[in-house]
Amino acid sequence: MVAAGWLSKDVAIIAVPIVTLFLGLLIGWLAQRSGFCSIGGLRDFFMFRHTRLLYGYLALIVGAFVGYLVFWLITPSAFENFFWILHKGLMPVPGAPASLTVAAYVVLAVIGGIAVGLIGVLLGGCPLRQVVMTSEGNIRSLWFVIGMCIGAVVFAAWVSGWGVALLKMTGIA
Amino acid sequence: MAENKAKETEKISCVDTLARNPLYVGLAIGILAALVQVLLISAGGPEAYGFCVACHTRDVVNVAVNDIFGTKLAVAAISQNAVLPVLTVIGVLIGAFVSARYYQEFRTKTGNVKSYIWYLAGGIFFMIFALFMGGCPYRMGLRIGYGDIVALIGVVAIIIGVLIGIKIATAIAEREE
Repeated sequence: MVAAGWLSKDVAIIAVPIVTLFLGLLIGWLAQRSGFCSIGGLRDFFMFRHTRLLYGYLALIVGAFVGYLVFWLITPSAFENFFWILHKGLMPVPGAPASLTVAAYVVLAVIGGIAVGLIGVLLGGCPLRQVVMTSEGNIRSLWFVIGMCIGAVVFAAWVSGWGVALLKMTGIA
Repeated sequence: MAENKAKETEKISCVDTLARNPLYVGLAIGILAALVQVLLISAGGPEAYGFCVACHTRDVVNVAVNDIFGTKLAVAAISQNAVLPVLTVIGVLIGAFVSARYYQEFRTKTGNVKSYIWYLAGGIFFMIFALFMGGCPYRMGLRIGYGDIVALIGVVAIIIGVLIGIKIATAIAEREE
């Protein structure tokens, strides 16, 4: 079965940039108003027991689940593998194409997660917050965003290949 | 007329009160991400890809680099198939800028060269590790909502990282005192 949403493929490929641009505009406005930040929410909770931002992140998970559930009931064909674990077991939802074992994905998630949390706390925010702070005129965040752009190319060109090779060598992948 | 205007202002401030509460913003982002999937999934996967700062930045940058230099850097299928890649991050930049200007919260904040280098290196490594994990914390949230256990492990790892980061930040602050 081919995944099919409300827009046909011919329309969807043109709609992708337009819809995501409007989504971004809306989220940018909301995030600027609320100071929305996932890693900031965790930090505030563990340091000061402030729950304001943390509830925002938890609400995102709940909102995503409710959204997926409702739209899945309306248009099941757009959500082929909802609820994921019932279809694919422990395999994670893929990002860019890669075919590794479950163990390798777990190792990557743990290493990546710890590093992401660490960097996020030390530099004062998750990527969304950094992007929003850039728009608010913070030059340091601008450098963070530039770093993200460089990191994307570095990852795709070299690191992902090396990582997979290393995992295969150790027998995890 | 004046009454109407007062009502209008009240309406705007009511929306603004909602927008200033992260709880409603989080709910809105989650639901919007699901809406984007139901609209656009025909253009290509992956699933639970409605909103992600790391992956969507990767798509924009890598598609641009591929077009300019003729390379074949990996991007998500949806950005590969569509006429232009997902522009969410560009939207966030513009939306937040307009909002900051509108509410007069735009302030240019500079740092020293050392801090710029730290932020640049932080951005590079953040992106690499986020892509290892398969997304930024937001896509992790979407994936948990979609029923992905590895994403849950990823968020637990983020929490461990945050706790380590707090320890380091506290140690640095104490040394500076």
